[in-house]
Amino acid sequence: MNKQYILRTIICLTFVITTTLSGCRKEKDRSYDVNQVELLPPTAGKTKLKTNEQYVAILYANLFQKALSANQIFDINQCMQSIGDQEIAREVVVSNMMNKPGTIIPTKAQMAGNLNKFILDTYNRFLIRNPTEAEKTYFNNYITSHITPTDTILPELVYVSFALSNEYMFY
Amino acid sequence: MKRRDFIKKTGLAAAGAFIVPYILPSGRLFAGTGAAPKANHVVLVMFAGGVRYQESIGQQYLKASQMPYAQTLAKPELNVTGNIMNNMLVGAAPASKILYGKGAGGQTPFTPLLSQSLQQQGMLFTEMKSSSPGHYGGLNALLQGNTLYSQGLKQRPINPTIFEYLRRHGGPTDFPASKVWFVGNGIGNSLPLLNSSEHPGYGIKYGANFFAPTITFGPKGDQYLKDAKVYHPLDQLAPMYEMKYFLDNSFENIGRSFPSLGNTDDEKNQIKLFMKSMFTKTAAGTIAFPPAHADAGNGDTATVGYACEVMKEFKPKLTVVNLSAVDTCHSGFTGYLRALHRADHAVGHLWDFIQKDSVMAGNTTIIAVPECGRDLTPNLIKDSENNFYGYDHSDTNTLDVFCLMAGPNMPLNATVNSANNPAFSGQWKTADIVPTIADILGLKSEVMGAGMLASGAGSLFDKN
Repeated sequence: MNKQYILRTIICLTFVITTTLSGCRKEKDRSYDVNQVELLPPTAGKTKLKTNEQYVAILYANLFQKALSANQIFDINQCMQSIGDQEIAREVVVSNMMNKPGTIIPTKAQMAGNLNKFILDTYNRFLIRNPTEAEKTYFNNYITSHITPTDTILPELVYVSFALSNEYMFY
Repeated sequence: MKRRDFIKKTGLAAAGAFIVPYILPSGRLFAGTGAAPKANHVVLVMFAGGVRYQESIGQQYLKASQMPYAQTLAKPELNVTGNIMNNMLVGAAPASKILYGKGAGGQTPFTPLLSQSLQQQGMLFTEMKSSSPGHYGGLNALLQGNTLYSQGLKQRPINPTIFEYLRRHGGPTDFPASKVWFVGNGIGNSLPLLNSSEHPGYGIKYGANFFAPTITFGPKGDQYLKDAKVYHPLDQLAPMYEMKYFLDNSFENIGRSFPSLGNTDDEKNQIKLFMKSMFTKTAAGTIAFPPAHADAGNGDTATVGYACEVMKEFKPKLTVVNLSAVDTCHSGFTGYLRALHRADHAVGHLWDFIQKDSVMAGNTTIIAVPECGRDLTPNLIKDSENNFYGYDHSDTNTLDVFCLMAGPNMPLNATVNSANNPAFSGQWKTADIVPTIADILGLKSEVMGAGMLASGAGSLFDKN
């Protein structure tokens, strides 16, 4: 009994001492020269509001893949200032551009043929970023459910919605 | 019933009884003070870019402005007085040296459009004090009901404008965005900034819709706005907005939203269709311009024509129209006289148009008041037509203006002045316009209770 008791006590003490000493050991510094990064949403860097001039210049480049002249930018800015509701002003300017020849927009067939690519390209073109999985899923489902045989302007409406989005107003 | 249940239910019932009466069908949280509106619509004309007291109310024409400063030989023919605002004021026209009308040399004055002048149809305050000698400060005082020395140029009003007071305190049912309009004569002098303040409790979400029609529907609008597609509201706009709102929600999630004037989708569609129709009417020459616009008009007559179209379409509760062509007075006194005569013609047309509108006739008050006046003595710039001296606006004479008001529920042909007091005592001031408009539309106590008007500012109905 005594022997067993002593042996058990020794084992217990050994366990306690071992765990205490190892628990107090200083943790090894396992850094690999990689900076700590705080994870933010993909839009977090867009904090500056575009001016009207920046907006129309970028919009024109996005839709026509070429640049507006300085005079045209000045005139369009004046037109936008002459309308109180800037949401309406942007809608009118965007849809006016959509009515001009030369806009570079995928056809409905091109969009439907490779929807994932269309969504990725549209995000890259307008918002200069890749869509999140949630955004991909939303647009995939939304566009798929809205493609009808008679509807011919869905890609244009997608472009308009991006051009009018609040995120597009920031950079 | 257990005591705890009894207390709980009694408490809920008491809270309900307290809150429910304040949630009104109109969407307003608090009931109005019960003040009955004096009219359902108000049109404020900010008249018209610095109007000198002597040529307007004073009816001194050339006698006070040019004769004292002219060469000796020219003096006798400049000794002419008379009224060149024949739609707004009572008074005989100058007997000679008529330069402000149409035709060669402006010899033919416009025929009055109103059978009775506005002065006869309402109240004339002859001793209104402007709060500022400058255009922007003066316009700010007219729209804020206050004059703040900290108010900067190229800066939105610091205190709320009358547009915001009405939309916030009047509620979205009675005062939706499309019922509050500001029609400007251009986009210079920071005019587009005046449709809302930067006040944190008010701001653009309660602001006015704004057009500067000579730009919006002028050559630039033709090029960059006219061909806008009008998407089908259900088949095209609805899905487009749905996708936009999804994108906006994703962006809002990290704390940034974009300020909006608050037009509903239906209101936006109505405004876009209105714009489309304006381009069509402009091209067809069927805008409701004043009669003299076609052969002798200017920017102000054009602005008023489009303001009439806005009123015809939207029947606004408040329409503010800014005219400013008389500002040519800095370097062209002859042009100033012509512009003043045209501004009067435009106001006459505006009132005549309102009287022919089935909704606004008999239910609209018009207020015309200059944002500032002009100096007592001229500058050194002579115009090329008649060698007349120009006038700037910086001395105390600049602060002397007038206010003309006509509409229902006010005395007719009433002139209000300080006959028994020193003239221009400051009893009436341009900052009174905001509480006056609020009074007409039944929101006086709400606006005055907000506590941001100038000291002593009040409704002109309480000061006559």
